[in-house]
Amino acid sequence: MSEELNFLAIHGLAVRKAAGPAAVADLLGLDEAEVTAALEAATEAGQVAGARGMFMVSPTGQAWLAEQYPVVYADARTDGQLTEAYERFERVNTDLLALFTDWQTIPTPGGSVANDHSDADYDRGIIDRLGDLHEKAERVVGRCAEAAPRLSRYLERLETAYDKVLAGEIDYVSGVRIDSYHTVWFELHEDLLRMLGRTRQE
Amino acid sequence: MSEHRVIILDGSEQPTRDLIGGKAWSVARMMSLGLRVPPAFVLPVSECRRYLDADRALDDQLWQQVLDGVANLEQRADRRFGDPNAPLLVSVRSGAAVSMPGMMDTVLNLGITDDIEAALAELTGDPEYARDTHARFLHAYGDIVLKADLDSYVSGPTADEMRAAVLKDTGKEVPTTPLEQLRGAISAVFDSWNSSRAKAYRKHWGIAEAGGTAVTVQMMVFGNLGQASGTGVLFTRNPLSGEPEPYGEWLPGGQGDDVVGGTHTVQDMITLKNDQPAVHEELLTWAQTLEREHSEVQDIEFTMEQGRLYLLQTRTAKRSPQAAVRIAVDLVDEGVITPDDAIARVTPEQMRNVMSPRLDPQHSEQHRVASGEPACPGVATGIGVVDPDEAEARSRAGESIVLVRPTTSPNDVHGMIAAVAVVTDLGGSTSHAAVVTRALGRPSVVGVGDGVAETLAGKVITVDGEGGHVYEGEMPLLQTRVDEDPRLSRFAAWAAERSPLNVIEAAPDGVEFVDLDALGLGVATDHHHTTPSRDEITAALQGASMARGTLLSTPDGVAAAIAAGVTTVVAKPALPVQLMAARQALDLA
Repeated sequence: MSEELNFLAIHGLAVRKAAGPAAVADLLGLDEAEVTAALEAATEAGQVAGARGMFMVSPTGQAWLAEQYPVVYADARTDGQLTEAYERFERVNTDLLALFTDWQTIPTPGGSVANDHSDADYDRGIIDRLGDLHEKAERVVGRCAEAAPRLSRYLERLETAYDKVLAGEIDYVSGVRIDSYHTVWFELHEDLLRMLGRTRQE
Repeated sequence: MSEHRVIILDGSEQPTRDLIGGKAWSVARMMSLGLRVPPAFVLPVSECRRYLDADRALDDQLWQQVLDGVANLEQRADRRFGDPNAPLLVSVRSGAAVSMPGMMDTVLNLGITDDIEAALAELTGDPEYARDTHARFLHAYGDIVLKADLDSYVSGPTADEMRAAVLKDTGKEVPTTPLEQLRGAISAVFDSWNSSRAKAYRKHWGIAEAGGTAVTVQMMVFGNLGQASGTGVLFTRNPLSGEPEPYGEWLPGGQGDDVVGGTHTVQDMITLKNDQPAVHEELLTWAQTLEREHSEVQDIEFTMEQGRLYLLQTRTAKRSPQAAVRIAVDLVDEGVITPDDAIARVTPEQMRNVMSPRLDPQHSEQHRVASGEPACPGVATGIGVVDPDEAEARSRAGESIVLVRPTTSPNDVHGMIAAVAVVTDLGGSTSHAAVVTRALGRPSVVGVGDGVAETLAGKVITVDGEGGHVYEGEMPLLQTRVDEDPRLSRFAAWAAERSPLNVIEAAPDGVEFVDLDALGLGVATDHHHTTPSRDEITAALQGASMARGTLLSTPDGVAAAIAAGVTTVVAKPALPVQLMAARQALDLA
């Protein structure tokens, strides 16, 4: 089993926080059996704690990851094309978070009111904007994936979420317990922050 | 006489929504009410079909009629397309009968050129505004019409820089003459019918491919033209309190999206009344006309140019739950709508919100320990915990936990789910934390300041997600009482008259009732359980005359109770359930 796979499995688990091998494999776009083996090995090494098919990175594993990131992603962190794509990602992020906010609350003079999704035109307008931003996201994630090909898996997951939204499953805009557009984007954001050693600003 | 392929909108006729799209239809309707709306013309939906069937060709006859339409606008506006001395600028927007993702966005200020930018700088005495208007147009044209990959517009670049950015990405130039710009924008609107997003949407929803979108071309009003100009929004009633007073915001010297975008400091209506009493009075009169016409509160966009008022758009106003109740009752009292309409206009969810307990500001003030941006409304009390794993574990053990974090990552989401409220040091109302808490319905305050969340750990705190404050200790809450509020009482009476169920808050002593919760029939909170179906609930309630349970606050539960012949439901608060039953009796969702 490759060292790279071991590292990636723990990294993917760290992004997800607590997950089964299937979810981690899905996030990384890797084979589930291989990820399972890697997580079991990491459990024996004390880097991961597991119970009933769910795994979590242990404090030892977190410390190990923190040491590994600058080494594994040394090239990525100095790759001008990737860091430029990341800056772009942050700008799309700002627009997307504003969109999620407009999806959840509607601005009015003097404040805002919760969107109860009773106005189909309003919702379609937001979904239309999501389509625009999804096209921007495709381009920016595509550029990130040129440097780190596994990131293109996020693009597939974003596409799936967007398709569901378009088909009327509107929970997939910003729902929490599901792979909504926001959930996937949030994980991608976390993944990039870890890769590039940046700090979250909010 | 040649066929009319372009429709001039001047209020003399009202073409159908199917023909010209919703926005243009609304413009025509405002015109026919005698209200001043910027002059406009429309290429109807049928022209989109023709264009697409002709392999995307704008034929000469159609183009000639577009030119006639422009001439009509020029005459009505007393300005000319491309003339620096009296420039006519237009907006170009798409408009299908039903709005649909993928249709082209609006291009504003089309018709601006280098010469006109210079002239506008002179005319307005504001070169910065002229430059910004020009750059913003080029950005929109590049982004929307030429499909350039550009970041969202940020003020700063000059027209030349913006043109260069568009050229670099697309290899195409933004046309330099207004008529070429117009031709390009019209074609782009028609083409957007066949965008991949629009096609995907129609496929999902079974909308016919053979339709099309209209194109509306409308004069731009210069909200920046010297004194007595500006732009704003007016709600015919206060959208937060529901008070029957027009409520709005405006931006002196602003244009179009400036107010909605929220990037500028806006003025209130009193300032408008003082600065421009005539405009203010006209605006209120027109607003009243529109509210009467629609029998519903309106959200109106307006722009004024040198003291001349124009209405741009009107639509049904969004409102807070409190405002929804007050407005519905007031409109019945004013004879505008019936009690049935009032029942239809307040959802059970809104009523639940109205009935939820609120903080007593006078009592809490002295206990305030932190303030930030309100991110999700609601009030909750719990013990501050920083670590999300600890929050989850203690919540599982039955404690009420407030997650207090410097920032939040996906690693914290399980802690946010477990918590009753969330507080973060950093971030604003559009942060990941804010988005997640709103999706979960957890009261939250974000951006309380670096290091503050840590100081809240281990303390019992009360979070007010409406006001954006955190208080130490458990704050007493004010219960909303229906009998103390005359409007709520009247609304409750209408709901009771229409409801087949009697809903009470406590079961009388000694009366037997079916308790669905005690039977293990409840609302599923995770994927290990499923919520019983309507039929299953009906079966469980068969033969009972009185019942209670969390399921009876859901539409299926209420329908089941009615179907099973239950006469009385015990629920607290009663009014949302009573309303749900009344709405079902009226065949409302």
